[in-house]
Amino acid sequence: MKKFPGTSGLVFNEDLLLNQGSKGVSGINIPANNLGSAHMGKTAKDYIDAKFLRNEKKSPLLLPEVSESTVVRHFTRLSSWNICVDTAFYPLGSCTMKYNPKINETIASLSNIKNLHPMLPADYIQPILKIIYDFNSLLCGLTGLDEFTFNPQAGAAGEFTGMKIIKKYFEVKNERRNIVLIPDSSHGTNPASSYIAGFTPVELKTFFAAQHSSSEELQNAHDSGYGHDSAYIVNKIKNNDVNIKNKSNGYIDINELKKYINKDVAAIMITNPNTFGLFEKNIREVAELIHKNGSLVYMDGANFNAFIGNCRVSDFGVDILHLNLHKTFSTPHGGGGPGSGPVGVKDFLKEFLPVPYISAKKQATNDVPCASNNEQVPNDEQDCYYELKNEREYSIGRISSFYGNFAVILRAYSYLLSLGRQNISKISELAVLNANYMKKRLKDTFLESDPFPEELCMHECVLNDNVFRAEGISTLDFAKSIIDYGFHPPTIYFPKNIHGAIMIEPTETESIKTMDSFIDAMKEIKKKGNKYASKSPKSTKTKRLNEVLANKNPVFK
Amino acid sequence: MNSFRYIPASNKEIKKIYKFIGIKDKKELFYKIIGDISLIEEKDLSFMPDQMDELSLYKYFSDINDKLRHSGSIPVFAGGGIYDHYVPSAVDAIMSRAEFYTPYTPYQPEVSQGTLMALFEFQSMLASILGMDVVNASMYDGAESLAEAVLMSLRIYRQNRQTVPNAENNKKIKFLVSKSVNSVYIEVVKTFIKNLDIVIEFIDIDFEKGYTDADDLTEKLQKNKNVCAFIVQQPNYLGIIEDLEIIDKIVHSEKYAPSSKPHLIVCSSEPFSFGTITPPGFYNADIFAGEGNSFGNYMNFGGPLLGLFATKKEFIRQMPGRITGKSKDSKNQDAYQFILATREQHIRRQAATSNICTNNSLNALRAAVYLSLCSKEGFKEISLLNLKLSHILCEKLINTGLFSLKYTGNFYNEFVLEINNKNKKKNKKNSASVFINEMMKKGILAGISLEDGGNAVLIAVTEKIGIKDIDNYVKHSIEILS
Repeated sequence: MKKFPGTSGLVFNEDLLLNQGSKGVSGINIPANNLGSAHMGKTAKDYIDAKFLRNEKKSPLLLPEVSESTVVRHFTRLSSWNICVDTAFYPLGSCTMKYNPKINETIASLSNIKNLHPMLPADYIQPILKIIYDFNSLLCGLTGLDEFTFNPQAGAAGEFTGMKIIKKYFEVKNERRNIVLIPDSSHGTNPASSYIAGFTPVELKTFFAAQHSSSEELQNAHDSGYGHDSAYIVNKIKNNDVNIKNKSNGYIDINELKKYINKDVAAIMITNPNTFGLFEKNIREVAELIHKNGSLVYMDGANFNAFIGNCRVSDFGVDILHLNLHKTFSTPHGGGGPGSGPVGVKDFLKEFLPVPYISAKKQATNDVPCASNNEQVPNDEQDCYYELKNEREYSIGRISSFYGNFAVILRAYSYLLSLGRQNISKISELAVLNANYMKKRLKDTFLESDPFPEELCMHECVLNDNVFRAEGISTLDFAKSIIDYGFHPPTIYFPKNIHGAIMIEPTETESIKTMDSFIDAMKEIKKKGNKYASKSPKSTKTKRLNEVLANKNPVFK
Repeated sequence: MNSFRYIPASNKEIKKIYKFIGIKDKKELFYKIIGDISLIEEKDLSFMPDQMDELSLYKYFSDINDKLRHSGSIPVFAGGGIYDHYVPSAVDAIMSRAEFYTPYTPYQPEVSQGTLMALFEFQSMLASILGMDVVNASMYDGAESLAEAVLMSLRIYRQNRQTVPNAENNKKIKFLVSKSVNSVYIEVVKTFIKNLDIVIEFIDIDFEKGYTDADDLTEKLQKNKNVCAFIVQQPNYLGIIEDLEIIDKIVHSEKYAPSSKPHLIVCSSEPFSFGTITPPGFYNADIFAGEGNSFGNYMNFGGPLLGLFATKKEFIRQMPGRITGKSKDSKNQDAYQFILATREQHIRRQAATSNICTNNSLNALRAAVYLSLCSKEGFKEISLLNLKLSHILCEKLINTGLFSLKYTGNFYNEFVLEINNKNKKKNKKNSASVFINEMMKKGILAGISLEDGGNAVLIAVTEKIGIKDIDNYVKHSIEILS
């Protein structure tokens, strides 16, 4: 085999399906049903008032008119234009694109399980409720938290849920606290979620040269109340020039944090390990400071893959956490979703969790609760009766149509069962090892690009564009070039405070050979220089896109 | 033999990496990274079960699946926002292609054209079905989508009234909500707006017909100055078709809007009916926020579902979520990518139109494949079949004399029946939940109890129901109730 997986070959063309139809053709046949002569020939207006009926002239139905075979070929050809985890190394930083085990797909498509209506009486869904309940116990064990809700449908929904819990917590305590502190290295969803939940997000700098009068600006943020001004202030803080060469480090600075802490701070929202791929070493000190102020610690667990099975968030002071099942827990990301973002809390916040939730008791007829958390899972000896409940003293309310993304939860549960006690701690160990392997192997060529050359990283390593830029290659050029070598590009231009950031997360499911090949490709691109890189990708069906055009004159249907 | 099947590194290679990065073992590795935070020891992992090989895992869940045969493979007459439609095999075949289900969000359009073009087709087909200008690339579910629609209405309202004197603006903003909208959805809306100083006022329904009371709507529009939007569901939660033509006239009338900008109509719905009835876009609905799970998706015990979100072109910059657009590449070929990303959280952070990042893209793709298969005529026919079957069941049940129709307005594939008390003593059997439980024993999910302790059953029928199932429903109802 050649050195790199990328090559070129026959690529299929394919038109929009709407342009392929012939009048009257359809890809389904209507189920034969002996409706009886009384109903057979009837049309819609025999059942409902004609004024309600859809009129083809006034509101035409623009669906393709094609056969099943045409539909299958169309979408199969489309699929061949995608790079995915199963076809290529996909080191998209902060997204944890690990292998998605096939058995989980098989389990999620078992026919009785996938065909369950969510409003079946409790007697008929006991095994399903038990799965969610047992999965909760496993997550509690892995995090040291006391209860999870599975209603949030993705990470951002988890953040929103967590923020709402914090909001309600202070409401019940009768304290008016409007500010959530968010390090500048956070994902964009953090400030957006806290804002939608009714807080004023205030950015904490973690990577700065000069001090600035941040506490004064913070005061202004508070005075302006909950409102649109906060965006302006954060931008103002952000615009202070960051001199990368004189950077301090990628961690939360305790002295800086102290300036921001006051009685208006409801919580800190902290991603750990952060998006520089660094574990917040002083997180216990941070949590202590925050708790001393009566505030809470929310952790964005998007990067839980860095330490699952090796340390617990409860050991460093986290009160609320969301996890991304579509990252750490191996469920496929579906080209954009669905995900699942369970939220876990410490005991004192349980009553704030959203409804419905699952409760278990010894038998259907009495109220003796089933023990959880410390029990062996799956627990088949203990005969519990599970129910969906809506009553919770301080619940933030409902956040989804039913109980969250069960089919995603099921895959994640199956993943944990397959790992078991024996392998659970290997996942993060290998994820961290692989990332450090790449970081070190890149050093001979990209040392000048490593913002943290002295540090070990966690599950991902970040580079800036110093080395590529010296060759006239932008980060975007690099990303597009690596496609031709048969790899998905890493996350680029994030975190935003690293110049031209390239964030590489190999995960534990990649081999040394694959990582070596990717690293060799990076070095080769650097060698080939600007002329080559600026014209990439070359072997894909679609070449580089014209973003300006797409946004100037939006065509969306 | 290596110990775990998803990890490609051999034990020897793992040792090699440790040596290469100059670290002795796991303890040192984590100590150097996380400091003196205690590591979980093996004994602390006793809560975790033994690892399971693939066969054991399969057997374990296969057993569970078998236990669920009396819940997962029975005729389903329950709806309430999620319906048991048939999923053609071609949908499953295409959606089990890893090229569709294992990539991330298409941040690199050159290597994601398959997903992007399919999403573009999804948007186009849905826009036509709903009669709306622009559809986004999906939300989580119907409830969350409606909550986002409420937040979007607020943004439009504030934008429209920038010039209105402050005294007017400081009044609490109101949302008028028809009582016939799914109450769970409204609960989710309330969670989203809890701290925003917004009031919800409900509009009565005509309790004979089951649709929104136009007089009450008119009256409340006249009475209230700061109305942002009216929220309606089509067909509504009771299955009844709303007269959106009248609602359009009332709500959009300039008579009731204090400024020149009329109130907004936010329409929630499950769009299977729009193969038969006129879609909300035709009646000038400003925002559509619904549940698209019926198109090619399984019920999956309530998730993942498919949140649909659509609006008029003029409001596109206020929309939440991702929008796929058509563009050109450097060789001037048609190409697809996400557009107007400056609305989104990864660029605008807290100033974004929504915090949504991951959506339910794969469910949207399932809908695209499903609707393509249905094609134009097939979609109309399958939609009509749902209508017919539900009317057949309704008629047969009423003819038993054991039920009466609670609302007499036109319905599509869902309706409410009340269990008659007749001459009998008030009997527990007549409560809807007891009836549903008894029917479960016969292997039929008969519907949803409309309210706790009441005798009204919300019944839905899809094309998966055969005439035989309908006759069984009738037969067992007679056994149970007479």
